[in-house]
Amino acid sequence: MSAAISVRHLTKDFRIGLRGLKLRAVDDLSLEIPRGQVFGLLGPNGCGKSTTLKIVLGLVSATAGEISILGESYATSAARRRTGFLPEAPYFHKFLTGRELVRYCAQLSGVAAGDLDAAVEDALGLAAMSEAAARPIGTYSKGMLQRIGFAQAVVHDPELVILDEPTAGVDPVGSAAIGRMIDAMRTKGKTVVLCSHLLGQVEQICDRVAIMDRGKLVLEGAVEDVLARRDRHVLTVEAMTPAARAAAEAALEAHGAKLTSVTHPRRSLEDLFRELVTGSRDA
Amino acid sequence: MNASLRRTLWISRVTFLEAVRQRFFAFLLVLGAAMVLSSVSLRVFDFGHGELKFIADFGFGGMFFFGSVLAVVMTAQLFFSEIDNKTALTLLAKPLSRAEFLLGKFFGAWAVLGVFLVVLAGLQGLVLWAREQELIAMAEQSGKIPATFSVLGLGQLVLMQWLRLGVVIAIVLAISALARTFLFAVVVGSLAVVAGQLQWIAQDAFLRPTDSQAYAAFLWVSTRLIPNLQQFNLADALVLGSAAVEEGALIAVGFSGLAYLVAYLTLGALIFRRREI
Repeated sequence: MSAAISVRHLTKDFRIGLRGLKLRAVDDLSLEIPRGQVFGLLGPNGCGKSTTLKIVLGLVSATAGEISILGESYATSAARRRTGFLPEAPYFHKFLTGRELVRYCAQLSGVAAGDLDAAVEDALGLAAMSEAAARPIGTYSKGMLQRIGFAQAVVHDPELVILDEPTAGVDPVGSAAIGRMIDAMRTKGKTVVLCSHLLGQVEQICDRVAIMDRGKLVLEGAVEDVLARRDRHVLTVEAMTPAARAAAEAALEAHGAKLTSVTHPRRSLEDLFRELVTGSRDA
Repeated sequence: MNASLRRTLWISRVTFLEAVRQRFFAFLLVLGAAMVLSSVSLRVFDFGHGELKFIADFGFGGMFFFGSVLAVVMTAQLFFSEIDNKTALTLLAKPLSRAEFLLGKFFGAWAVLGVFLVVLAGLQGLVLWAREQELIAMAEQSGKIPATFSVLGLGQLVLMQWLRLGVVIAIVLAISALARTFLFAVVVGSLAVVAGQLQWIAQDAFLRPTDSQAYAAFLWVSTRLIPNLQQFNLADALVLGSAAVEEGALIAVGFSGLAYLVAYLTLGALIFRRREI
């Protein structure tokens, strides 16, 4: 089966100013994103992540390179029919209600008239926006905007969902809700490509990650593989006394191993925050 | 219904809803309506023309001027709000072609201008009819036959003006597809409207013999590139019957307008297809 997204030797140059100075945003990028996985595309601001996604979606033209989406040529209607997209900091017409926006996007995405109502309600339910769907978008909070953006991206049941910074500006509770939506897409067998600066969340959600810097790919692989340090081990010990520690160190040294640090396990601030404010909703 | 047409209509529906909510639209509509209504009280300054002609000139002048301003500014605003707010990113990532998006914008803006014209022309018709009834009553006493206005002519004028504004919208969309800023699109669009109003001067000059090949070529290109927007201004002839307008002439003007409209929309779609969002 073909990859969800296949990019080969992609290069993008922007011309700047009257003299046409060349700025290389993406530099000879080759990347294969397998189907059915959650893929994190990471990198600092200006590293070429969003440009790459825009090229894949046909919003920006490539200077050089080959791209295919789900085995089809990119930037075609057929490829976009099978793709959903949530842009960074999404903005929608404020006078539309959430339900009207999702319906509008469903119609543009070619959802059949007979399936329209069910598709809209399913997408609103998946994004946990059913209750607020009758309100104008102008009254939505940042988190709700992201969630309604997610609903419009998945309303036509796409095989590939591209999310550009879906948690930017969203509080940890909203961010966790978006994480659950992404997980639900994975359960349905969809491919999700995620651009995010929330590395903790990416680590938890993604199956694979790629890291870009200055337009180039610097690392790509399964999360477990790229994060594991095979030359180090972590032991979690309960009720350790000084004597037990000394004995453990002696035993390790007898086998040529060396204890390099002893610390207390910590929970993340995000976990603590979510634990304390569980049940709160952004409305 | 064809899927492409359906997508275009959905874009135009949302464009229409967005446009009629704009304060700018409401402001120009109120201003135009005020001009039509004030024409009755200002008719004493008729400069020797017939009363109905003065009322018609004054009211249609407002409709024509504010309609042009609305067509240029609102169209550029509707286009650039999608680009600057990045709603275009969301929409164009869907199976929607750039041409469908641009056509949707066109039909949405054109529908708003249609509402603008119908409201103001309806008001103008009421004002003309009311004054005509007064003049008829006075004429019956004095035995003079007053000038009358034609409802059919008013309808034809609205259609002609709507087509004229459609050409303006198509030109502004083509400029917007190329322009980087809203201000540039508005300035160049306004200049294009002025050039269109004065195009008949170039047409006259082209018909006169000249020795300069370059000058003749410039006039030839100008007269074909720029539509003659003055040809749609038939208010006196159509509404007050000041001159006979042959049906063939109206049809010719209509076809000319449609040809320019299609040409500029095609040009806009071709430019927009290459634009990076």
